[in-house]
Amino acid sequence: MIGLTHYLVISAALFSLGIMCVLTRKNAVSVLMGIELILNSANLNLVAFSKYTAGNLDGQLFAVFTIIVAAAEAAVALAIVLSMYRLLRSVNLDRADTLKG
Amino acid sequence: MNANLVSQGIFYFFAALTLGSAAVVVFSRSLIYSIFGLLFTFFGVAALYVFLGADFLAATQMVIYVGGILVLLLFGVMLTHKLYDLDLKTETFQVIPALLLVAAVFGTLILAMTRTTWFSGAVRQPEPTTAEIGKLFMREYILPFEVASVFLLIALIGAAMIVRKGAE
Amino acid sequence: MDPKLIADLHKFYPEMVITGTLLLVVVADIALPVLRRSLTFALTVLGLAAAFALTLPLMAVQPGSMFYGMIALDPMAVFFKAFLVLASLLVVLAAPGSKEFSRSDLGEFYALLLGVTLGMMLLASSTDLLMFFLSLEMVSLGSYIMVGYLHNDRQSNEASLKYILFGAVSTGAMLYGITLLFGVTGTTKMVVIRHVLAGAAASGENSLILLVSTVLILAGLGFKIAAVPFHFWCPDVYTGAPTPVTAFLSVAPKAAGFAIFVRFFFTGLSQAGPQLTWSTFASINWMPIVMVLSIVTMTFGNIAALRQENMKRLMAYSSIAHAGYILMGVVVLTSEGLQAVLVYLVTYLFMNLGAFMIVIEIYNRTGSFELKDYRGFYRRSPFLSISMSIFLLSLMGIPPLAGFFGKFYVFAAAVNRDLAWFAVIGAINSVVAVYYYVRVMKTMMIDGSDDMSPVRVSWDSKALIWVMLIPTIGLMLFWDRVQKLTSGSVGLFLGN
Repeated sequence: MIGLTHYLVISAALFSLGIMCVLTRKNAVSVLMGIELILNSANLNLVAFSKYTAGNLDGQLFAVFTIIVAAAEAAVALAIVLSMYRLLRSVNLDRADTLKG
Repeated sequence: MNANLVSQGIFYFFAALTLGSAAVVVFSRSLIYSIFGLLFTFFGVAALYVFLGADFLAATQMVIYVGGILVLLLFGVMLTHKLYDLDLKTETFQVIPALLLVAAVFGTLILAMTRTTWFSGAVRQPEPTTAEIGKLFMREYILPFEVASVFLLIALIGAAMIVRKGAE
Repeated sequence: MDPKLIADLHKFYPEMVITGTLLLVVVADIALPVLRRSLTFALTVLGLAAAFALTLPLMAVQPGSMFYGMIALDPMAVFFKAFLVLASLLVVLAAPGSKEFSRSDLGEFYALLLGVTLGMMLLASSTDLLMFFLSLEMVSLGSYIMVGYLHNDRQSNEASLKYILFGAVSTGAMLYGITLLFGVTGTTKMVVIRHVLAGAAASGENSLILLVSTVLILAGLGFKIAAVPFHFWCPDVYTGAPTPVTAFLSVAPKAAGFAIFVRFFFTGLSQAGPQLTWSTFASINWMPIVMVLSIVTMTFGNIAALRQENMKRLMAYSSIAHAGYILMGVVVLTSEGLQAVLVYLVTYLFMNLGAFMIVIEIYNRTGSFELKDYRGFYRRSPFLSISMSIFLLSLMGIPPLAGFFGKFYVFAAAVNRDLAWFAVIGAINSVVAVYYYVRVMKTMMIDGSDDMSPVRVSWDSKALIWVMLIPTIGLMLFWDRVQKLTSGSVGLFLGN
């Protein structure tokens, strides 16, 4: 029988994979993909808890707003990445080193 | 009994799809492969939403994440195209500690989750959610709803301003 | 329409005015190319001033929750609304004066700033986890864009990229923590969370998941207030961003971050006890964690500032250290501590903004933020040098300047809670900080330099610096007013 724990394990795995992506990738767009993985894992948590613990739609409403926030953040992040590409001809984070530290 | 088994099978299929694609996102050397991995991850998550009885959310996930964010990421990669086929593997010295750290995080999460007694409200029976969500937007959630529209306005102005060329 | 909703709208005027001003600024920016510069500026200033005026009558309103429990109106919320609008107003007045913006159109800047102000006001009053997340993201997103405002400047761009990536990861992790809390308590309303946790407090069985959840939420909150170890973005972002934006970030979103820090931990995760003290639940004792955070933050911030040669970087580490002191007021779990936080923030607003304004003025004349270009400034502009010295002395906490009161209150709150050792650590840190503040003073006042050309400061910049100087110097004169205001603002709405 599929229960709450199944979904939680999947979301924990997604969260961990997202953190892994953020920690090890040097390309800014890749880090952004890691962030999307993290946000999706949180959303999965919300919807699963909404069904199994809260018993109402609170979690689902929260998830809708998270999707909204994620979309806006992705748009702005990509705008900044494109702007950086135009200035530097590179989106490799190793090159973003004019600010030391 | 048979139907139960089939539905369990389908669940595990989508779970594997989601996690497998996420692994592709993280470990693939090619940026394009990563993006398509992300596509299937979003798709898998949407399927899991359907399993959880969140029909409106599953549709929203597909439309916004796949139709919006993913396309945006694809544009981002294509417009910075000189780099998408670069070998993006970092030095091994960085991957192993990160792997250990992430494994520790995952382990802690699983440990914590299995030891917890979650809040026991009612379990929600599957039924169509769209009408109910619409009503909630206009009642209990009206403030976040309005704030979200101002939020999106800010994001719109900001993103357009950043990429605008020409005189500052 | 629900009559309660209409009643809530009557208490929502400041936010509505800010939103209206934002929309007007956007329209004015597009519509009138000739008048654009002055019109958008005037609209923004008027809107912020009107919003400030509208927050004052809210002090007299009965505390209660608004919009179905999403935000609360209580004395602390009103205090922060007024504080944040004032901070935004001061930054808007200072922004056009910076040479960094001389080639920029500031219409979008004002719009973004107004959006961030709206987000901060909502953040400071949020009592629901969804509202908390949404308004935090609103503040952050606006900030990310403002940092990258000079889109042809490589440093500004790089700073905003680092900021958004770091910020998105932190708030993503925080969101995951929020979802775990939702799972354990079945609700997103902080008031109900407290009730659920109080009921289960006897059994410590959920302590691990609550610990994980709290640590993750601290990641997001710590990022916002730039506490160690979530501070990594701070020096680079402060250095790369246009200086008015840096000044804004160091004061306003930080204060809003503290407001929600207090509100979340006190409303959601603590039990109100007798005589205005709080206690943590058995299952989630967050006090030692935040205490460690405070100590590490102030120590690291001060030590890192010692070696800095760039003024903006130095101010970044300085503000990290100040966040550590403010956290001390949160940790002691008394209303005296909360009052200390409010006092500290008020003094910090004026002295920090004042210091940044001087940095802006010096940049306008010399084009540099490096300390070596500050040498011998006393002979070039006694006004700027003396004002800077006053702000630095206040940041050090020297009596009778304003900064002393902030530190005094925080340390006194710690001592009164039998945490004298904690206050001693803070005091030692303050002494360490004297070194780098005095170093700047010495460079400006005593060191010689070859360039002796006098620097004239325009009257409007002078006026603004005086606006910062007067509270910094004169706080001791109207001390009892501030005392009364802050002690009356400590009330938190804790649910019906």
